[in-house]
Amino acid sequence: MGFSVTTLIFAMVGLIASLSTRICFNKGPSANLLHLTLVMTATVCCWMMWAIVYLAQMNPLIVPILSEGE
Amino acid sequence: MAENGGCCPPMDLFRSEPMHLVQLILPIESAHLAVAYLGDLGLLQFKDLNSDKSPFQRTYATQIKRCGEMARKLRFFRDQMLKAGLTPETRSALEDDLDVDSLEVKLGELEAELIELNANSNKLQRGYSELVEFKLVLHKAGEFFQSALTNAEARQREIGSTQTGEESLETPLLEEQTTDQSKQVKLGFISGLVPKAKSMSFERILFRATRGNVYLKQAVVEHPVTDPVSGEKVEKNVFAVFFSGEKAKNKILKICEAFGANRYSFSEDISKQAQMITEVSGRIAELKTTIDIGSLQREKLLQTIGEDYEQWNILVRREKSIYHTLNMLSIDVTKKCLVAEGWSPIFATKQIQDALQRATLDSNSQVGGIFRVLHTKESPPTYFKTNKFTSSFQEIVDAYGIAKYQEANPGVYTIVTFPFLFAVMFGDWGHGICILLATLYFLAMEKKFSSKKLGDIMEMTFGGRYVILMMSLFSIYTGLIYNEFFSVPFELFAPSAYACRDPSCGDSTTMGLIKVRDTYPFGVDPAWHGSRSELPYLNSLKMKMSILLGVAQMNLGIILSFFNAKFFRSAVNIWCQFIPQIIFLNSLFGYLSVLIIIKWCTGSKADLYHVMIYMFLGPTDDLGENQLFSGQKTTQLVLLLLAFVSVPWMLLPKPFILKAQHNDRQSGQSYIPLQDTDESLQSETAHDSHAHAEFEFSEVFVHQLIHTIEFVLGAVSNTASYLRLWALSLAHSELSTVFYEKVLILAWGYNNIFILIIGIIVFVCATVGVLLVMETLSAFLHALRLHWVEFQNKFYEGDGYKFYPFSFKLASEEEE
Repeated sequence: MGFSVTTLIFAMVGLIASLSTRICFNKGPSANLLHLTLVMTATVCCWMMWAIVYLAQMNPLIVPILSEGE
Repeated sequence: MAENGGCCPPMDLFRSEPMHLVQLILPIESAHLAVAYLGDLGLLQFKDLNSDKSPFQRTYATQIKRCGEMARKLRFFRDQMLKAGLTPETRSALEDDLDVDSLEVKLGELEAELIELNANSNKLQRGYSELVEFKLVLHKAGEFFQSALTNAEARQREIGSTQTGEESLETPLLEEQTTDQSKQVKLGFISGLVPKAKSMSFERILFRATRGNVYLKQAVVEHPVTDPVSGEKVEKNVFAVFFSGEKAKNKILKICEAFGANRYSFSEDISKQAQMITEVSGRIAELKTTIDIGSLQREKLLQTIGEDYEQWNILVRREKSIYHTLNMLSIDVTKKCLVAEGWSPIFATKQIQDALQRATLDSNSQVGGIFRVLHTKESPPTYFKTNKFTSSFQEIVDAYGIAKYQEANPGVYTIVTFPFLFAVMFGDWGHGICILLATLYFLAMEKKFSSKKLGDIMEMTFGGRYVILMMSLFSIYTGLIYNEFFSVPFELFAPSAYACRDPSCGDSTTMGLIKVRDTYPFGVDPAWHGSRSELPYLNSLKMKMSILLGVAQMNLGIILSFFNAKFFRSAVNIWCQFIPQIIFLNSLFGYLSVLIIIKWCTGSKADLYHVMIYMFLGPTDDLGENQLFSGQKTTQLVLLLLAFVSVPWMLLPKPFILKAQHNDRQSGQSYIPLQDTDESLQSETAHDSHAHAEFEFSEVFVHQLIHTIEFVLGAVSNTASYLRLWALSLAHSELSTVFYEKVLILAWGYNNIFILIIGIIVFVCATVGVLLVMETLSAFLHALRLHWVEFQNKFYEGDGYKFYPFSFKLASEEEE
């Protein structure tokens, strides 16, 4: 799966998570905004980490050189 | 205060609750009840209006002394109960309404009774010990006489009856044959008990003092005897000293006193001795029963106290805190009422008014309490409404500094970014699962642990259970990304992207593998682990990742400072601080991040160190093979120019603008709006106008200079500081690899069951001790530092003070 497809998957997961938080923990508009912020921050952090590791491996400059006896 | 704009409602926890200064005027009859209800509510922080008075000058000093007396009596009861081995029942809620006055009387009665019982039992105990000692003396010393008599009889039979029958053994040694009184020498004896430890020196001193003219006989008592004076069990010897003469008697008496030897006298007559022994035994038995009855009574009394003890304790503490608070109110003698001032959140207004009304009703007062809001320029305390999940994260932020009133709270983002940065440094999903299991255990036992008293370390760990839960969840995620399960990689999502160049895999150890399939879809490719080029590759990856994450977090910090500036309506901060800061940081380190991403996307061999350094040293040079995109040279020149311009932009305009604003205010202050004639308000406005009159331009300029230098130099050092994310994650994975390969695999290789078991034990101990405990603490600390310094110094002021309402719940927690 490519980069964009997985990014879209992350976006979908983030959306579903925020909707389910809204449904399960509905405690007024200010609390909902807090929950939304937390879910968005978590999604962005997780996506950034995945994206960095994926991009770094797309066009590698060095390759694995196995060690002796493997 | 200012609203957050029409786009969205204010976010919970982002800014501290709006507070206002309220003034309560309470009639004296309902003051006590009103303060009690406000204490139950726990949402009002009283200001001390009598701070210039000493504790003895305050209105309710006598009441506090009474409460102190009651507390002392309760402490006395507690000591007595502990000595008797009883523990008071714990009942935390106040069940029925006890009147304080009647409680005071009751406590006084109980204390008097208990003291009397104690004194009586002590006296009886002392008498009992004396009798026991007396009995011992009678026994042992009687034996002396008995043995002497039998010896003498034996001797007499040997010698034969040369004496005439007038004399017998019973006649005293020296009869009163001479009429001269002065020449009479009385032979007497003293008997008693001396502590065994001192018996040798006792004997020696007696010998020396009387020049050897006494006869001392000692007998050991087999078991320790309770000393009547000290009440402890001491090993003693029974002694009998035979002497002649008045002077010797005095000397012996003094020596006995000095050695703490108790003396008991009895007659020489053997028949009388037997009579005395029976008499003493009878008295001992009587005393024993009396003592037993006494101690039973005492225990019963203590038990009845123990049932109500906890309740009385709570009541006395409540009363004391109510009177302390009442002492803080200023008394208005002419109007027969008390005036209170305090901070409270605006949302609590209705609840406070309700409490006042209830107090008026319950105390049958004619006049109700008055609730007034005061306007002041003083800075209110900071109050965040947290639940059990967010409170631990808020405590982490508060440990660095309490937020200024209504500035942006970094705690909101800390809830996610702190566990995330921890996980970047910890990344191993095996270890993450272990920590998750431990945390789930804590969460399952939540109710039980929150009421129990735990040790210091356990309490800290239990208090941070939600933080650790988040940390473990993110660790599992980053562990999957780094592809490490106790340092072992797995092909979970797709086959590895790398394979040998040719089927024989001949040059896999020299030239390496090649990329044959699509990139491994989630995380680090499993082919890298154990290869020779693993470290260079992963180091490059993790360092670049640290820079990207760091720049992102620092930008978030600067954007939060923008929101602060918008909220406090400070346009100068937006134009002369936020914009140049964003431009400076992003034209240098944002550009570096973009270069990193372009290099990854295009696979170019450009050297980014070279690009960045020569951007400064030789901006007009030709880039050559370091060219990543067309127009790079012009872009770099523009960015360099922007960075250079933003530094004086940060430094110069703000002090001048502030000075201009101050001058405007000064000229417009000749007309002051009309104020109330309230005393506290007048002093406050006087103070404020005095503060506004002070504006030192040089001070403001130096402050801005320091701020600018800090930001500019900090941009470089903070970005480099984020490299600790790389360093710790490298250390963790290397340690993990060493423990796995050099302990577990090594033990497996011997094919011996005992070595395997030892190896497993060592592996488990090392993993738990070094990786799960030490590395967790280490990564926790570094993630904390990154938040406190690198993230928060972009926007956080943190010079507020915390809201400590008058609340019985808080007070009881503090006492524990």
